[in-house]
Amino acid sequence: MFRNLSLLKRSNLLARKISLDAGAGTGSTQQTSETIREVKHHENLAANWWNKKGPMAALHALNEIRVPLIRDGIVARGNVNSRYINTTKVLSGQCILEVGCGAGLLTEQLARLGAQVTGIDLGEELIKTAKEHLSNCSAELCDRVQYKMEPIDQHVKANFERYDALVVSEVLEHVDDKVALLSACVKTLKPGGSIFITTMNKTVPMWIGGVVVGEYILNIAPKGTHHWDKMIAPLDVQRILDTMNCQTVLVNGSTYDFCRNTWRWINSTQLCYALQAVKQMPSECS
Amino acid sequence: MLILLRNNAGSAAISQARNIAKRLLSTTTANRNPETTPATEHYDIIIGGGGLVGTTLAAALVNNVTLADKKVLLLEGAPPFKGFDPSGPYQNRVSAINRNSVELFKSINAWTHIEQARYKPVKQMQVWESNSDALIQFQHDNFASDVACIIENDLILDAVYARVKELDNVKVLNKARIECVGLPGKTGAPHSQVKLQDGRSFTCELLIGADGANSVVRKEMGVDVLSFNYDRMGLVATLDLNMDDDCDNSVAWQRFLPTGPVALLPLSAKHSSLVWSTTVPHAKELLAMDANAFTDALNEAFCRQYPRVDLADKALQGLNALFGNSSAQHQRQYPPRVCGVQDGSRATFPLGFLHASSYVCNGAALVGDAAHRIHPLAGQGVNLGFGDVRRLVETLAAGAYAGFKLGDTQHLVKYERKCLAKNVPIMVGVHGLHTLYSTDFSPVVLMRSLGLQLTQNLPPIKNLFMKTAMG
Repeated sequence: MFRNLSLLKRSNLLARKISLDAGAGTGSTQQTSETIREVKHHENLAANWWNKKGPMAALHALNEIRVPLIRDGIVARGNVNSRYINTTKVLSGQCILEVGCGAGLLTEQLARLGAQVTGIDLGEELIKTAKEHLSNCSAELCDRVQYKMEPIDQHVKANFERYDALVVSEVLEHVDDKVALLSACVKTLKPGGSIFITTMNKTVPMWIGGVVVGEYILNIAPKGTHHWDKMIAPLDVQRILDTMNCQTVLVNGSTYDFCRNTWRWINSTQLCYALQAVKQMPSECS
Repeated sequence: MLILLRNNAGSAAISQARNIAKRLLSTTTANRNPETTPATEHYDIIIGGGGLVGTTLAAALVNNVTLADKKVLLLEGAPPFKGFDPSGPYQNRVSAINRNSVELFKSINAWTHIEQARYKPVKQMQVWESNSDALIQFQHDNFASDVACIIENDLILDAVYARVKELDNVKVLNKARIECVGLPGKTGAPHSQVKLQDGRSFTCELLIGADGANSVVRKEMGVDVLSFNYDRMGLVATLDLNMDDDCDNSVAWQRFLPTGPVALLPLSAKHSSLVWSTTVPHAKELLAMDANAFTDALNEAFCRQYPRVDLADKALQGLNALFGNSSAQHQRQYPPRVCGVQDGSRATFPLGFLHASSYVCNGAALVGDAAHRIHPLAGQGVNLGFGDVRRLVETLAAGAYAGFKLGDTQHLVKYERKCLAKNVPIMVGVHGLHTLYSTDFSPVVLMRSLGLQLTQNLPPIKNLFMKTAMG
């Protein structure tokens, strides 16, 4: 019944993304206050970010399904050397950007599969925590992971069409100007590369499960983490990406079981969803 | 206050002095033999305990495509395995290996080794009791496939060791006794640590406790354990049979006596292995007997008439009539006559029950007897261990392919969930059977006899039991 509560936790991540969004938008100064609020909100959680039983438990658990989704999504595009498939080097040579990486839960795990991952976030505390965790607990990944505190619209300047894959996980629901965020993101993506998005749907069941029950009844996420206004339906994301010459190839619905702290794929995208879109080659542009 | 301060200061000074001394000592030893005391070696996976389950796990890990590049260290307390001679006399420690475990051996390419040496497929199993006529027989339709295979433990070890030696990524360390273990959850270090009694120390991503019922790893994990002794001993021996030449000896026999079950497991046309669970004084008596007296006692155990519960016999007749079967008495076959016991093959071991409440923690996992120990009456102990091996390798491979650290509880917990779902019902069932059959109280005899006969007559229930026991 309360499976969607975990969504709330994701919203924290989203907050960071919002800030990114704000930066990407033209009127960044006007968005600053809301962006700052979202970033602060998430920075307050930085110390507990890596605690598997802490406030980010659902985000830790989400790795169980989002890493295989990204891995298989990249493999399915045919860009992976077949001798790496089924080995822990499966993402070797793949250059991945994670926008709104938080303290690096997903970043490290993608790097452990061999990928070169850059994580950007607006939270100074978060990036600091991410860097500390990397050098203290995952030193073997140091040469494959890079963290930067900068907004995406700034990052794109030096990294135009540089990445094989882009991950925007649990961020979109914290960002006001989704178009600005996504357009900056897509610019960093090589033609033929994939963008992976996970977020929550804008539906009444999601709002009741994620916001009302999750934040106000069960306190799984701090109050004020998620907002109806910032949630977005998969079709809307798809439409935005279409305008940027990215074709959506996959939309999977998912749900969270808070009793067992596990995520699983479901047939409906009413609650949360993951989406993969592929940037078309220039020749395919109309 | 002052005293406290002084005490503190004093202890601080002492500990400082100790630290300095330690540092001095360690540097001197390091200087003296820089080769024998190298810096702590790091492995991906360390398996504590090179028994049947631990060694099989080592082979299975490195044989997995996803885990093939992991460095594995197998720590075994005993000296190097001396090997197995397939033409020598039969060993007294044998296991009834079920189909799933055979599949595991096939998957790690160890089965051909066993097949080419010797093993005995069991086509049928007959279980009956001493206080009534109740009886059950397990077999596949038309004996199409085997119920289980009886394999000597040393042969299994020989086969998996042969595999381990071929694999570059597994290192076996013999005479390696674990002195202490440090887990990330308690030490705060990023890796699990193992210190041996000879002073060598290692770190790893994942430490696997395959070190038996007294597991050091389990103790360090601090999990709750449910354990008790049965006050029974198991007695094993290799037996010579008096068989006709045209009999192939492919039935396993088990009779529940008031003191515990006695079982004959076929090894070859002329040999069987004995597993006799009985009271401690009786086991000692049997161990001390001369060969002839022992053989007589054993034959008597299979044939002796115990006081019957008439009501149970009558109820069984009624039940069998209802199903239109001939009475249990006519279905019963009798085991072959034992004509001798091989010298020095008799040995006893204590029987107990043990179950760990949790199989995993951050940086460590338990397999086999370290996590669970059961009564041998259903021959399930080692099969549960091999089941753990399959599930652990599966879970680790899926976790590693999703970028998790090997010791991450996030995915290790899945191994625990799968194991508990499989192991707990079997453990409860086996313990229940032991309890049910360790009395001759009439109402219990009546109920268990009816239950057994009903199972014998209702194929769906019987198949369910067979399926559970065979993996």
